[in-house]
Amino acid sequence: MVPSTRLASIQLNNATISFEDRFTLSELDWTIEPDQHWVITGANGSGKSALAAALAGIGKLEAGTVEGLPERVGLVSFEAQAELIATELKKDDADIMDVVSLGTPVREMIFEYCRDGELANDLVEKFGITKLLDRAFRKLSTGETRKVMLIRALANQPDLLILDEPFDGLDVDTLAMLQAHLAAIVDHVPMVLVLNRFDEMPDFITHVAYLDKDRPDPVKGSKKPREGGRLAFTVDRQDEAAFNELYQLLHLKTTDLRVPEADPASRLPALDPSQPLVKLTQATIRYGDTLIVDRLDWTIERGQHWQLSGPNGSGKTCVLSLITGDHPQCYTNDIFVFGFQRGNGESIWQIKQFIGYVSTALQWEYRVSTSCRNVIISGFFDSIGVYTKSTDHQKKIADQWLALLGMQARADQPFNKLSYGDQRLLLIARAMVKHPPLLILDEPCLGLDDMNRQLVLALIEKICEGNETTVLYVNHHTEDRIKEIDNHLTLDKNH
Amino acid sequence: MANYFNTLALREQLEQLAKCRFMYSSEFDDGVEALKGKKMVVIGCGAQGLNQGLNLRDSGLDVSYALRPDAIAQKRQSWKNATENGFTVGTYEELIPTADVVLNLTPDKQHTAVVNAVMPLMKEGACLSYSHGFNIVEEGMKVRDDLTVIMVAPKCPGSEVRAEYVRGFGVPTLIAVHEANDPKGEGLALAKAYAVGTGGHKAGVLMSSFIAEVKSDLMGEQTILCGMLQTGSILCFDKMIEEGIEPGYASKLIQYGWENITEALKYGGVTNMLDRLSNPAKIKAFDLAEELKDIMRPLYNKHQDDIMSGHFSRTMMDDWANDDANLLKWRAETAETNFEKTPAGEVEISEQEYFDNGILMVAMVKAGVELAFETMTAAGIIAESAYYESLHETPLIANTIARKKLYEMNATISDTAEYGCYLYNHACVPLLADFMKDIKSDVIGKGLNVDDNGVDNARLIEVNDALRAHPVEAVGAVLRGHMADMKKIV
Ligand SMILES: NC(=O)c1ccc[n+]([C@@H]2O[C@H](COP(=O)([O-])OP(=O)(O)OC[C@H]3O[C@@H](n4cnc5c(N)ncnc54)[C@H](OP(=O)(O)O)[C@@H]3O)[C@@H](O)[C@H]2O)c1
Ligand SMILES: [Mg+2]
Repeated sequence: MVPSTRLASIQLNNATISFEDRFTLSELDWTIEPDQHWVITGANGSGKSALAAALAGIGKLEAGTVEGLPERVGLVSFEAQAELIATELKKDDADIMDVVSLGTPVREMIFEYCRDGELANDLVEKFGITKLLDRAFRKLSTGETRKVMLIRALANQPDLLILDEPFDGLDVDTLAMLQAHLAAIVDHVPMVLVLNRFDEMPDFITHVAYLDKDRPDPVKGSKKPREGGRLAFTVDRQDEAAFNELYQLLHLKTTDLRVPEADPASRLPALDPSQPLVKLTQATIRYGDTLIVDRLDWTIERGQHWQLSGPNGSGKTCVLSLITGDHPQCYTNDIFVFGFQRGNGESIWQIKQFIGYVSTALQWEYRVSTSCRNVIISGFFDSIGVYTKSTDHQKKIADQWLALLGMQARADQPFNKLSYGDQRLLLIARAMVKHPPLLILDEPCLGLDDMNRQLVLALIEKICEGNETTVLYVNHHTEDRIKEIDNHLTLDKNH
Repeated sequence: MANYFNTLALREQLEQLAKCRFMYSSEFDDGVEALKGKKMVVIGCGAQGLNQGLNLRDSGLDVSYALRPDAIAQKRQSWKNATENGFTVGTYEELIPTADVVLNLTPDKQHTAVVNAVMPLMKEGACLSYSHGFNIVEEGMKVRDDLTVIMVAPKCPGSEVRAEYVRGFGVPTLIAVHEANDPKGEGLALAKAYAVGTGGHKAGVLMSSFIAEVKSDLMGEQTILCGMLQTGSILCFDKMIEEGIEPGYASKLIQYGWENITEALKYGGVTNMLDRLSNPAKIKAFDLAEELKDIMRPLYNKHQDDIMSGHFSRTMMDDWANDDANLLKWRAETAETNFEKTPAGEVEISEQEYFDNGILMVAMVKAGVELAFETMTAAGIIAESAYYESLHETPLIANTIARKKLYEMNATISDTAEYGCYLYNHACVPLLADFMKDIKSDVIGKGLNVDDNGVDNARLIEVNDALRAHPVEAVGAVLRGHMADMKKIV
């Protein structure tokens, strides 16, 4: 193969780039090697298009460095398209003449701009817009202007191609044609694509950059909250496991999720709405002479999401286990849960039926070999493993959860063969499957890498948005917050 | 006091031994109702006492602990167990008179003294329960006529009783009513409610008799469950050292090997355990097991005979009277064995390697399980009982060896089991001396050294048929099936 005369790599070092004070991208540490082809993806509103534009030199560098941006960048995006149309319309306004302006014809838009006229000609034909060549650019439909944009970018011999959602709104034939063309030029032009859907990802893509929403500090003197995004992580396509997780994450982040229905046959007893879900009065836990929890008063009302924080050893898990009935000292404390004053002949199963519970310890308990589907089904029985015959309907609900997690293909695989993060997701589904009034998440992100944290938090946010389940989220970082949660209890180490 | 079993006529003995019925889950529909609001006082807070009590309380029952004065005054472990878990603790005088049910969960050797001390304090018409029938059957304890006497015996170490309950399950449990002491006819209802309270009903309950429980329990624990694993550990380790295997590797292969190979037993019986081997290794293990069964059969028979005749319990009680001289001597000897003294090495051994390099261990488990089962059923014990006391419990005991070797096993099992285990080991090690002379590292430590895995078709069919035809496999398949979907778990 001919050695390509390639550019140097593009390097962003701890860069912060702002876009008209509306949006800020931060923590941009990113290197694009000349032989790589990237997809930028991420949560909605995380600044994917902004990052793509930044590679075309758009935006203001606030901090850090950006090096190696090529001179000739072919950028196709809705923003660029809108801008080009706006410019055309302005030309109209400027020309105060007696003849009504027809605007710039498409032919001129393409051939006066493109360095490779031959290719442009070829593409005009392939995109099927020969008939439009003499039409005014501003008279075209959105789809047609998009095609013009694509031809301009492709036929201008760019050093870097940036295509923001290039496949959106293209008919099937055009789509196939464009994809084939891109595949044919990959050896000559590095590409960065913004894509929301993974199934559209061309085979030649080598890397993925994932952006997440960020909340930057407001500009000094301004009260207006700003939007922002940050580069959360990048994935090499060769790393198959990471790539699959990313697929799942996108699925959670970008599809309109609906939590599967509860099982009507295993409906929970009704709770008295006038009573709190949980009320601990002067709760105290001690081991020998060591005081772990000291006279804690805590009431959890229905619909009040809580975050419980505190350093390691401050007794967070102990307090939880008073609520779940797993702590033996729940019999020596004044505890009211789900209508039961503890220690009056109720069984722990009567308590546990109202609680969904996820923790690292629970995950360890699941070292036995059981299928992913059964892990979810076991949530109907509050057991670890399934010991009771489950109904077809329960199986169906479990499968809906698996689909929601993007794991339907793994229903029959053994749970202990899954990645740590996938196990955690399944356990959250297990906890939620019965639509419990209280969902307790004890350090749900513990031990997870960035991508899996994103996955778990995305799922928790979805659950918080529903109004059926009250969430109790435990985390030892006070700063690690979920936006729907506004009640906070912080425990101190008192021993 | 006379041996109760020996006072019965042969006809009655056989009837009691054959008492065993797997109960339907619908028989437990009343849940813990029969015990609701009743006061349950547990004597002793050790392995069974603490864990059964935790389960019963979590099932909504009223549980407190009566401990001997010294335990309270010295704040012994039993006192700590109870108080740290938030239970009320008191003396016999304080608690026994209030009790509707007294749960005797002290060591078997203390039962006569304990029952004699609490019986006068028990209220009229109360219930006395055991988790092992030794005191009633072997010591012939006579309980006051107005008292109901029942047994609820989990077929697992105490730690498992709790762990399984917490996961929403339970352990297989044997219940019985002492027919001589069921004045109000409520024994069965109480025993069932108690089994529900411990979670046992979810894993399967056998309705049995005190006699069947004792005679099968003793047999199982002495032979396959503890004795065979101890003897096997010692012999296999010494052989590997003799064959030049690295001691750390040898120690690990045994310490975790029992757990790994019997895990296969738990899922699919002896057949599945042998199916984990390559065909040549399977045939090898089968042949070794046949040889072992021939050599050990008289020993298994002797254990069963001594248990039936009362000879075993008499000699053990003599040892109790002699300040446990033999027990302590054997315990010290166990601690001095090379296996016990050699820590497991830091080597990686895959799950399959435990099978491939532990063919002899597989053969020993097979021989022990089948012999114990055959001997018990030949003595009139029903297959279901024999299954629980042999195959079912083997993996549970193997787990204890994985934790801290023979020390842990002998510390976790009851004192009676520990005594019986040493007794077996003492006889079995010399019995297998000749057999062990021909053993090489191909069956223990290194795995078969064969060019290919080819075997003779006819021979393989023969072996497979024989494996599957053994009666322990038939009853095992049924009982494991009863444990519903838990097949995947236990
Ligand atoms: N371990 C098993 O795997 C198992 C399985 C099924 C059934 N069982 C049966 O369960 C029963 C209890 O066995 P275990 O293994 O749980 O015993 P354990 O762990 O040795 O506990 C015995 C408890 O009894 C107390 N105790 C000892 N001597 C006493 C005496 N003279 N008076 C009053 N209390 C005394 C001890 O406390 P202090 O010494 O502090 O007073 C200790 O808390 C036995 O009948 C056994 O056969 C055991
Ligand atoms: Mg036993």
